[in-house]
Amino acid sequence: MLEIDDLHKSYGDVTALDGCSFTVQPGRMVGFLGPNGAGKTTTMRAIFGLLRLDRGEVRWNGSVVTHGMQTRFGYMPEQRGLYPKMKIEEQLIYFARLNGLSKTAAAEAADRWLTDLGLEDRMGDALETLSHGNQQRVQLAAALVHEPELLILDEPFSGLDPMGAETMANVLRARAAAGAAVVFSSHQLDLVEDLCEDVAIIHKGRIVLDGNVHDLKTGSNRRVLELDLTEPQSEIVSGLRLGLSTLASMDVATSSRCKRGQTCAPCWERSSTQRSSNTSYSPRLRWRTYSGRQWHDDI
Amino acid sequence: MTTFEAVRLVTMREIRERGRSKAFVGSGIFTILLLAAVIGLPAILGGGAKSFEVGTVGPADTSLLALAETMATESGDPDQPVTFSVTSFEDRAAAEAGLNAGDVEIVVLDDTTLLREGSGGFGGSEIERILQRAAATVALEETLVGSSATVADVASVFGSQPLTVESMKGADAELDDARSIIAYGGLMLMYLAVLSFGAWTLTGIAEEKASRVVEVLLATLRPWQLLAGKILGIGLLGLGQFIITVVIALVLIRVTGAVELPAIPLDSAVTLVVWFILGYSLFSVAFGTAGALVSRMEDAQTAAFPISIVAIAGFFASFAVLNDPSGAAGTFLTFIPFTAPFVVPIRVAFQEIAWWEYLAAVAVAILTIGALVRFAGRVYAGGLLHYGGRLGLRQAYRSAEIS
Repeated sequence: MLEIDDLHKSYGDVTALDGCSFTVQPGRMVGFLGPNGAGKTTTMRAIFGLLRLDRGEVRWNGSVVTHGMQTRFGYMPEQRGLYPKMKIEEQLIYFARLNGLSKTAAAEAADRWLTDLGLEDRMGDALETLSHGNQQRVQLAAALVHEPELLILDEPFSGLDPMGAETMANVLRARAAAGAAVVFSSHQLDLVEDLCEDVAIIHKGRIVLDGNVHDLKTGSNRRVLELDLTEPQSEIVSGLRLGLSTLASMDVATSSRCKRGQTCAPCWERSSTQRSSNTSYSPRLRWRTYSGRQWHDDI
Repeated sequence: MTTFEAVRLVTMREIRERGRSKAFVGSGIFTILLLAAVIGLPAILGGGAKSFEVGTVGPADTSLLALAETMATESGDPDQPVTFSVTSFEDRAAAEAGLNAGDVEIVVLDDTTLLREGSGGFGGSEIERILQRAAATVALEETLVGSSATVADVASVFGSQPLTVESMKGADAELDDARSIIAYGGLMLMYLAVLSFGAWTLTGIAEEKASRVVEVLLATLRPWQLLAGKILGIGLLGLGQFIITVVIALVLIRVTGAVELPAIPLDSAVTLVVWFILGYSLFSVAFGTAGALVSRMEDAQTAAFPISIVAIAGFFASFAVLNDPSGAAGTFLTFIPFTAPFVVPIRVAFQEIAWWEYLAAVAVAILTIGALVRFAGRVYAGGLLHYGGRLGLRQAYRSAEIS
C-alpha cells in the first residue's frame, strides 16, 4: 500500500503541497485529479524522492520510501523522454537493468513488452524513427518493463489518439488486475470515471476529495436527468408528468457550475449528476460530467 | 542495486552508445587520416629527389655556383639524389620570364643580387639560404687570400658545431631533445583531450536534459551516479581513442621513418597518464555542471564558455612555462588546479620540478576534483529538473532538491 502522508512543499512564496494525503491499495487504480498547478506533478516527484519535502512522508507497505526502494516502482513523468538515438530494445533493457533486473531477465522483459505493444518488428530501430504514438508506447513500456508493484503515471493520456488511449487503458487495467497499485494523474474527469475505482482530487496542494468513485457519486445529493427528445417522445414523457421537474433540475445543474475562484472539488461533486442524452430515436441514460475542456472553462 | 552497479550500467551505456555514434566514429577516422597525412605525406612527397634550378645573368662566378652545388648536395637525404641545374640568361628580362615560367627558382644577377619571383615563404627558401652561405664563404675565402685556407676548409668550419653541449641533468643530449618534444607534444595532447572529451560530457548531459529522459533516470539513479557514470564512460572512451591514435601514429612513424622517434622517459610517460586522468576529470566535472544548467542543446556551448576560456588560458600560459620551466610563473601555475594539468607534465619533461611540488600539485588537483564533484552534484541535481531558460549557477545550487 502506498501512503502519501501530510506532504508539504513550498518553492519560495509558492505553496505547491499543503498537507497532501491519500492512500493507494494494491490492485486498485486511482485517478489523481486536479487542475494545472494543483500539485499533482510535485506529489508524484515526491514519491520518487525527486524533491526535498518540507514535511510529511511517503510510505510503501508501511516503511518510509528511501532511495533504492524505487526500483520496485514504475514512473512515467509528464515530460516524456527517452534517448532519441538509442535502439528501443536496448533502451528498455537499460531501464530494466537500472531497476535491478538481471541481463537475461531484462532482455526477456523488453522483448515481451515490445511484442505485447505491437512493436516486435521495430526492436532494432532508434526511438526517433518511430511515430509519435509508437514512441508513447515505448515510454509506457519503459515504466513497466520491470513489472513494478507501484505504477505512477503523470498525465499518461495527454496527447494520445483514441487508439493509443485504448491501449494505455488496457495496459493499466491489466497491471492493476495483476496486483499493482496504479496512480495516474489527469484533468479529464470522464476518463477517470471510466477507468478508476478510486479517485483523489487535489486542489492548491491539498486533497479535497478522495475515495471510491461509485460511493462519491451515490453520496452526491444532486441528480439530473437530461432528456433530449423528439416531439412524440416529449409528449409521452409529458404524459408521464416527469418533464417539468427533470427540466428544472437540469437548469439547476447548468447554473450551478463553479464560478471563477471557487474550488473545483465541490464543483465536480455537484456536477457529477445523472443525466441522460439520447439520439432522436433511442433515449438512454448515462453518466456525464464535465469534460476536461469545460473544467478549464469553469475554473 | 548497488552504487557500483548503477555507475557501471551508466558507464557501459555511455561507451556503447557513444562508441558507435557517427560523431565518435567519424572524429576517430578523421584524426587517424589527418595523422596519416601529417606523417605519411612528407615521406612520400618531400622525401623524394630534391632539385634546385638556378639562373644566372652576366658573368657567373663558377666557384660560387660550384660551392652552392656542393652545399645543396649535402643538404639532402644521402639516399636521395639531388639535382642542381644552372641556366644562364641573356639579360634580366629573359631571367624574369624564366622565373615566371617556373624554369628556375632563383636568379643570380651579376654575382651581386638574388632575384626571386615573390615571397620566399616562411623562413625563406632553401636555395636562397644556400646561395647566401656560399657567397659569404667565397667572400671570406677572398679576404683570406695568401693564407693556406681553401674554400672547402672555410665551408667545413662554417658547417660544423665546434662546441660540445653538456647538460647537468642527464648527460644524454639526445634524451634532452626527446624531453622537449614530449613537453611540447604532451601539452598539445592534454589541451585537445581536455577540450574535446570535456565537450562530449557537456553535450551528453545537455542531451539527456533536452530529451527529458533525465527524470526517468533520476527515479532510480542519484544525480551524482549519473554524472560519475557519464564522466567515467566518456573518459574511458576518450582514453581508448587516444591510445588507438597514438599506436597508429607510432606504427606509421616506424613504417615511413618520417621522424626520428625519441625514447620516452618513464617519468614523463607516467606523468602524462596521471595528468590526463586528473585534467580530464577536473574539466569534465566542470563541463558536466555547465551542461546541467541548460535545457536546450543550443545553449550548451554558451554555458560552457567560461570553462573553455579557463582551458585556453591555461594552454597559453603554459607556453611561458615551455620557455622557462623553472621560473616563477611555472611554479605558481603548478599549484592552480586548472593550469596544473598543462604545466606539470612540461616541468616533469624538463626535470624542473621538485618532488614536493609535484605531490602538492596532485593533492591540490585531487582536492579540487573532490570539492567540484560535490558542488557539481548539487548544481546538477538542482538544474536537471529545471526546464525553461538557462539556469544560473547559484540558483541551481540553491534549488538542489536531491543529492
